Amino acid sequence: MLHAVYNSAIPNVFTSLVDRVLRSASSFRIVVPLSYLLLGMAFAAHAADWSGPEQQLAGKIVAVTGPGAVTLTAENRSSLGKRDSEVIQNGLRSALGGLGIRFVNAEQAAATVVLSLSENQSSYVWVAQIRQGAGEAVVVMVSAPRPEGSTATHETVPLSLRKISLWTQDDAILDVAVLEENTVPTHIAVLDAEKVTLYRWQSGKWQQEQALGIVHARPWPRDLRGRLVPAKDHLFDAYLPGVVCRLAAGAPLTLNCRETDDPWPLVAAGLSGGNFSGFPGAGSTPTSVSPLGAFYASTRNFFTGVLTPGISKSTTVPKFYSAAFLPRDKYLLWLFASTDGHVRMVDGVSDQVARLDWGELASVKTACGAGWQVLAASSEGTGDSVHTYEFPDRDPVAVSAAIDFQGGAITALWTEAKGDTAIAVVRNRETRSYEAFRLAVVCSQ
Amino acid sequence: MKRFGWRWFVVNSMVVSVLVATSAANAETRPQYGGVLHVAMHASPTSLDPADRAQPDSFARHSLTMLMFDTLVTVDENGHVQPSLATSWQALAGGQRGQLRIRRGVKFNDGTPLTPEIAASSLRAANPSWNVAADADSVVIDISDQNLLEQLALPRNAIAKRTADNRPIGTGPFHIVDWQPGKKLALAAEDNCWRGRPFLDAVEIEMGRGFREQMTALQLGKADLVEVAPEQTHRVSLDGRRLVSSNPIELWALVFTRAVASADEKLLRDALASSVERGSMRSVLLQGAGQPTASLLPNWMSGYGFVFPADADLTRARHAREQVRTIPTWTVGYDGTDLLARVLVERIALNAKDAGLWLQPTSTTKADLRLVRIPLVSSDPWIALAGVATLAEISAVKNPGGSVEDLYASENALLAMQRVIPLLHLPVSYASSPTLKNWGLRPDGSWALADAWLGIDKP
Repeated sequence: MLHAVYNSAIPNVFTSLVDRVLRSASSFRIVVPLSYLLLGMAFAAHAADWSGPEQQLAGKIVAVTGPGAVTLTAENRSSLGKRDSEVIQNGLRSALGGLGIRFVNAEQAAATVVLSLSENQSSYVWVAQIRQGAGEAVVVMVSAPRPEGSTATHETVPLSLRKISLWTQDDAILDVAVLEENTVPTHIAVLDAEKVTLYRWQSGKWQQEQALGIVHARPWPRDLRGRLVPAKDHLFDAYLPGVVCRLAAGAPLTLNCRETDDPWPLVAAGLSGGNFSGFPGAGSTPTSVSPLGAFYASTRNFFTGVLTPGISKSTTVPKFYSAAFLPRDKYLLWLFASTDGHVRMVDGVSDQVARLDWGELASVKTACGAGWQVLAASSEGTGDSVHTYEFPDRDPVAVSAAIDFQGGAITALWTEAKGDTAIAVVRNRETRSYEAFRLAVVCSQ
Repeated sequence: MKRFGWRWFVVNSMVVSVLVATSAANAETRPQYGGVLHVAMHASPTSLDPADRAQPDSFARHSLTMLMFDTLVTVDENGHVQPSLATSWQALAGGQRGQLRIRRGVKFNDGTPLTPEIAASSLRAANPSWNVAADADSVVIDISDQNLLEQLALPRNAIAKRTADNRPIGTGPFHIVDWQPGKKLALAAEDNCWRGRPFLDAVEIEMGRGFREQMTALQLGKADLVEVAPEQTHRVSLDGRRLVSSNPIELWALVFTRAVASADEKLLRDALASSVERGSMRSVLLQGAGQPTASLLPNWMSGYGFVFPADADLTRARHAREQVRTIPTWTVGYDGTDLLARVLVERIALNAKDAGLWLQPTSTTKADLRLVRIPLVSSDPWIALAGVATLAEISAVKNPGGSVEDLYASENALLAMQRVIPLLHLPVSYASSPTLKNWGLRPDGSWALADAWLGIDKP
């Protein structure tokens, strides 16, 4: 009652593609080697099973024409690719043949069938216009569900930035933390608007261990942001606007949330020293960076600009979206991506403003170049990308080509706990799903 | 330098291009809060009550409604129903009843909580023939309509709480600050909106503005979002302005004011329908905008629109006309304030003359047939078809089963009545300033502004 269904449900029968191709090949007496070629081509494509609607449409056509000689022409008015279109036409011919239809030239045909592969907003619509003699055309049609799409890959360059896909989901991902890893991550926590979910890589796939709900009284702001930060006496804290949740170890794990405007840490936990129970390698780096926190506007998507304990004597900067730092010999150079579109460079003595057209920022410590780089996101028309920069002085120098995200929009960029990689969350503009990547600078190739 | 050698040179070379690329890039990857959005529109609605059926349905009205109100469900761009004020739904009583669970924690703009009772009352006000009741945390609707959810997604079914003086209050992202009916509407962001506060601080809408006046306001920076007349869309896009168009969701058609009375009249109406050169109307008068059509529903909605031939067939028209002895002169009405409508009607009269028919254009309200613009109220084809039938004052659309073939049969039956001669399907188009970001159109052609934001002007 509550859903429009255009035709009876198409049985979810995944007829073997081998069978499909051989069936059509048999109909047209195609030689065996060609059928193998078709088979390979079909597997290379995103093959879908069209046999249900093919059979339905064939039945409707034959109900009008009866068995006999017809001529069939086809046109593709839809977003279907040429190969799918051909597979469907062949499948329909095969189904019609099975119902007693013979295909002949127009002069010999008792009926003319014009097949149009069309579509509407929710499904494919296949229409057959049937003419017998001089009368009006009879129109029959079926609809077929549209399959999901797919995505592509990208290339890299020397001194490059690489992305490793960690997790994809429909709900907005705010942050992902890698809790355990061997050569690849094996245990992760995913933060979204309503929960922290733990996943473990087992038997070749991610399996959910536990989902811990986030309790909050007020509605979240639009463009919600959040961050997972390792803690010394418990597994980690989840920072969200006006809420901090503490994940306590134990069986089962528990997540305790409280309303607070506590500052969010801006320095990756592993870079400010200490031991951390959950995060691999966090705290093991010999570098120790003075911690810095910033207050987050609980009903907006930016930091207020109030810092604690401050950069030297500076305890406020203009409100900002994101921050990164670069250690110098005797000080830290902090970069703030302000809400006014400028990047402010603050070292406790000077405060410089640059129009760098950067969005999100993250610091990474690597074995490359100067040892510290800043990852910066920017938007270049069709989608967002991330560059790696160094600052020999106060002017940025790009040290990697951009890594792009196939037209996606970067919604989060956070330095990981250990400090040598970052998490980027990207919203795919086509699928609307969110994908979290680990970004790593590769030094030499 | 030694550390990287030639590779460092390569990287530095690459750096130049990267920096150049960066300078052309846009930092505004994250939405910014604040700012006042200025909008201009042609329509002059005098009521903001979504359930007020005295007001003509229009895309502008849909847009205004969805700024202040929410519906129980929404329909996404793929035609799929999504939760909104209702979090889940189920069919009861063998499909004769729908139960929708109301979202908890939602508040109206005056701070009172949304309850199933208020939701039920709102739906009853919008649909006096519906039997709607609150049941614990749900509303229950006794209706056998197969498209109930799609009906509930219509702006006219937005949930409103009515005050003692019958003012509607919504749960939407903005609330009313100033309302001068038919002239101006000022809205402010709702801080406690259940979906989160919108990025914009306020929206100010000037009503009753002509298309040219709107475009001037955009050019002078006095408006951020304006409507674009169909015949102007090509030029606006050539000017490099940001133009957003919907799918074709407005039907332009000739509608006869009465049913076919005789066999001769049936032949003459067929002759008129066959004589109209829709293709040249589109290419010359509309500057390439829209799609010629002989169907009520656009092809993107039905999938079969091409089955109805839209090309002029003068031979058929003359053949039909020659079977009739007495040829009456039909008056064709149009909106006298709409210059394009007048030009279109004059072109139709010329086409008809070629077929031996006589049409007399008139801007008076009394006419044998009228050129009308019919907004398709929903992206759901059944609801859209029913809307066309209602506006054209044809009989109600039957809804026997919901298959695409049933839809085709219903549309075919409506066309066979010869009350409507479809001409064109037009999109609705808007031009916006470069600072307006992340806005778009819903499938029904209304603005989606809750996630829009104003960026920083480039120096």
